[in-house]
Amino acid sequence: MNLSHPDRRERLDRLAAEYALGTSPPRVRRRLAAIAHRDRVVADALRQWEQRLAPLAAAVPVITPAPRVWARIASSLGIEMRPPPAAPAPAPWWRRLALWRALTIASAVIAVALGIAKFAQPPGPDVAPVVVVLAGADAKPALIATASRLNRYLTIKPVGNTTPAAGHVFELWALPQASPPKSLGVIPAGRVVQVPLTAPADEALTNISALAVSLEPPGGSPTGQPTGPVLYSGTIERMF
Amino acid sequence: MNGDSVKAQAEWSAHLAALLSRVSLSDQRAFEELYRLTSAHLYAVALRIVGERAIAEEIVQEAYVNVWHHAGTYEAARSQPLTWLMAIARNRALDLKRRREVDTMGLPGADDNGPGIEFPADGPPPVDLLLAGADARAIRDCIETLEPGPRQAIALAFFHGLSHGELAAHLREPLGTVKSWIRRGLGKLRRCLEAVAAQ
Repeated sequence: MNLSHPDRRERLDRLAAEYALGTSPPRVRRRLAAIAHRDRVVADALRQWEQRLAPLAAAVPVITPAPRVWARIASSLGIEMRPPPAAPAPAPWWRRLALWRALTIASAVIAVALGIAKFAQPPGPDVAPVVVVLAGADAKPALIATASRLNRYLTIKPVGNTTPAAGHVFELWALPQASPPKSLGVIPAGRVVQVPLTAPADEALTNISALAVSLEPPGGSPTGQPTGPVLYSGTIERMF
Repeated sequence: MNGDSVKAQAEWSAHLAALLSRVSLSDQRAFEELYRLTSAHLYAVALRIVGERAIAEEIVQEAYVNVWHHAGTYEAARSQPLTWLMAIARNRALDLKRRREVDTMGLPGADDNGPGIEFPADGPPPVDLLLAGADARAIRDCIETLEPGPRQAIALAFFHGLSHGELAAHLREPLGTVKSWIRRGLGKLRRCLEAVAAQ
């Protein structure tokens, strides 16, 4: 049964509709699900019908599952449960501005040295208009973050050898001018990675003065704020 | 549908999509937030279909464990994040329900009285912000164009996961009638939605 053949489209559409509605007989369900794994046309037909019917599901009043459901998920994945609110922390590191000033100068110098700061040319659509060089305490660049203003992601490139200590991960933070850091998520080490933003870069990074990377337990900071040492940081150079 | 809620919906979907992509990088806090924001939808949908709390809980548990491992397979261009998540729970619930039916050949009892399965005759349904928007309006309007038989059969199938046989028993109609209601109803629904989309 080659369902993706154009002559069979109508039949495929009917089968996909019944699959999404849920009325396909069990054997057909299993068969379709298996075919969808290897056949894009079939997978798309199923997804299209799921999309068509999805708004109906919004009419189902939501019911919050018992807390034990999350507890079971967390324990089966080895995720640590969020600890109860901790005692007031000492003065947060991001307020220690002296560090920032030092790093700002360092990273500006490095940006020029690396030739990534293209101040001379007006930014065209393909030029990355946001560049952040994240450097360590030794002022050596470790990561470079770039984004085009309309992209909904930041591209993070490692330069040099950056590997978190065993049993830890890197977490990326956006540092607003006047409020605590906002997590941009855990980033894998040693490869180019695209970190999602909730809005186009020029909007998502409004009022963000710098980016930083901290060392966190697997899965990221359990508190929503950096808990480990800040290894790399850099100020945002805007080119727009 | 006013522009603000369409925009809010788009932002909301973008937020969920961003969480999913963070989850694909093993970000536990993103995962926790995703669960907090979406689990009540998945649970409600699963519970409607399987009718038992313990089983619906297992479905939700399994769905999120799956999401943790396979969040990277979500493609933002191809489906909305909540649709994708709900489809995982719905499909799992339907698989389980069908398997149990084969095991027991049982039909749902007469006390199968979940929240109303009829589309309300007047006033909009409690369409949640998450899926509010032009799409929700279109499908509601198109459902309204169906005749009562097909409309009820489709609603029962979608919300309660009833099979053809169960639908025939519930609606006291011959199996062939129910099958053709569903087939014709879905065909009409598709044409209607396409016509709306083309406008």
